Amino acid sequence: MQESFFSFLGENLQTFLTYTGVYSATPGHLFMILVGLFFIFLAIRFEFEPMLLIPIGFGILIGNIPFKDAGLQVGIYEEGSVLNILYQGVTSGWYPPLIFLGIGAMTDFSALISNPKLMLIGAAAQFGIFGAYTIALQMGFEPNQAGAIGIIGGADGPTAIFLSSKLAPNLMGAIAVSAYSYMALVPIIQPPFMRLLTTKKERVIRMKPPRVVSSTEKIIFPIIGLLLTCFLVPSGLPLLGMLFFGNLLKESGVTRRLAETARGPLIDTITILLGVTVGASTQATQFLTLSSIKIFGLGALSFVIATCAGILFVKFFNLFLREGNKINPLIGNSGVSAVPDSARISQTVGLEYDPTNYLLMHAMGPNVAGVIGSAVAAGILLGFLG
Amino acid sequence: MIRKKTGVFLLLICLLSAGVEAQRVTSMRINEVLVINEDNFVDDYGKRGSWVELYNTSAGSVDIRGCFLTNDRNNPKKYPIPKGDVLTKIRPRQHVIFWIDEQPSRGTFHVNFKFDPDRENYIALYDADGKTLVDEVTIPCANGKEVSYGRTVDGHAEWGFLEKVTPSTNNLTLDTNDKIDNFRVNDSLGVGMTLTAMAVVFCGLILLYLIFKFVGKLSVTLSIRRAQKTDGSTVGQDVASGEILAAIGTALFELDEDVHDIENTVLTIQKVKRNYSPWNSKIYGLREIPGK
Repeated sequence: MQESFFSFLGENLQTFLTYTGVYSATPGHLFMILVGLFFIFLAIRFEFEPMLLIPIGFGILIGNIPFKDAGLQVGIYEEGSVLNILYQGVTSGWYPPLIFLGIGAMTDFSALISNPKLMLIGAAAQFGIFGAYTIALQMGFEPNQAGAIGIIGGADGPTAIFLSSKLAPNLMGAIAVSAYSYMALVPIIQPPFMRLLTTKKERVIRMKPPRVVSSTEKIIFPIIGLLLTCFLVPSGLPLLGMLFFGNLLKESGVTRRLAETARGPLIDTITILLGVTVGASTQATQFLTLSSIKIFGLGALSFVIATCAGILFVKFFNLFLREGNKINPLIGNSGVSAVPDSARISQTVGLEYDPTNYLLMHAMGPNVAGVIGSAVAAGILLGFLG
Repeated sequence: MIRKKTGVFLLLICLLSAGVEAQRVTSMRINEVLVINEDNFVDDYGKRGSWVELYNTSAGSVDIRGCFLTNDRNNPKKYPIPKGDVLTKIRPRQHVIFWIDEQPSRGTFHVNFKFDPDRENYIALYDADGKTLVDEVTIPCANGKEVSYGRTVDGHAEWGFLEKVTPSTNNLTLDTNDKIDNFRVNDSLGVGMTLTAMAVVFCGLILLYLIFKFVGKLSVTLSIRRAQKTDGSTVGQDVASGEILAAIGTALFELDEDVHDIENTVLTIQKVKRNYSPWNSKIYGLREIPGK
């Protein structure tokens, strides 16, 4: 009796052991946990995009706790689990438009309206998307997959998630993590290329201060912006519609409460859910593949191409502008969305060469144009390849 | 005023309803019909018979309960599709089969009329009001052959005898993505996509640039005119710039406060010493006694 009791206990303990994370752990899980810890370290130690990296980093830890696949509805890929339900916002693509609503409600388009030619920089920087698309095709990705990967170059996390959920859902985890990681690493990626492609003389170009923009102009901007961009590219409607709607809430002056909710509690809630679930979707068994590594490489490349395209375009544009109207090419990098980090980098690098030349306001123009440009580009890719 | 507001509200409702219409019964189409069925699809009772396939062309679910199917032009309400059956809700781009077997007691999807295999047949779908015709088709006589008559592609206008009988599935099997295949074959380098997409992005933002350049100029002109009307001055764009206004404001402030030193044309900031400040007053550090 006693012997059988102990053997019963032993068998149960053995069974229990098979359910523990220690038993199911693989080197892949441990590697991904290290990646998650690295993200958290970067966010806390260097304050690199903490709002993104903390949720994503912790999400990676959550997603890579190994467990026995016994239908316990624990993992993010198990239908009906809590994480899976939260992940629906990513897979069905309704988190990104809500994020765009909040971005619209917090963005001041004054810099862009006062100097609308800066919009063209935002357009030029989208070359990063299509440069990466071309390279991805050469690396053997299908056109739809290449489109989803290329959008990383738009430096816009929500857009990347939205498009990849439509074009290549199986690559979405890698694309989302790659997009957000490189957005956080913009302060490291962009400055060397900004210095490489500009001369000392160009770096100290002073731009005219932006004029005061009337409230009427601010109100009609989202309306015309929506009508024009969405009539041109209707597939960009979910993102552009919400972006401009959020901006109208802000600028109309009569929906202050709605605007505050959109740019405050709503965007915070969605950012938390999006970050954690995207992080958790990087389960080692699903995530650690050769494709993911290629996507990370292509993501970095697309950021570099976008940065260079923006800077070179400004240099080219300056050839046609009169003295006094010239644009400082250091704001070319901010044509990639990554609001407002890339604009801050223009400011920081500009101050290194002329401590009294403040470029932030000017850089915000192409920066927000980049958001519009990347959403339009996503719409085009969706229209062509969806 | 209230009437005006109500009018605007009703107009909005009407406009919105027009948009909703696209997701309603009007999106349903008669998609395929098989009149002679001797060796084909069987119903839940294991019986073979004529059937008609309806197709939801819209991107939203459509509930066809309360609508009517008929083979008689003079009697649009011949077979009312029963209410209370969840299966009458058709998902986007999906099909549903109705058995034309004159056996309505067998369930929702068995109608109360039959086709005549020896001549031309007619079938129509009417909206729940029994008046609005949603779709109709006249099926040519198949001359004894067991072939279905349907749209060559689901929901499209062209009809004909189909090569394969395809109940509850696409009339034209879609096993490839033409768009992607097209790009794979004709644009393997991605140059076409890059040029097209960059052109579209530039077009969009150039248009936005042109519009806002015009709007900006208009706004500046209007503000100058407004300023001239108000005080008769000739305030120009350069004078009204933020930096100059700030400089003027600072100068006026310093003049009022008398903190400017005696050197002309030099703007300096002097430290003003004050022994008393509200910040170091103990009075402000104490709590007020609640009022009685």
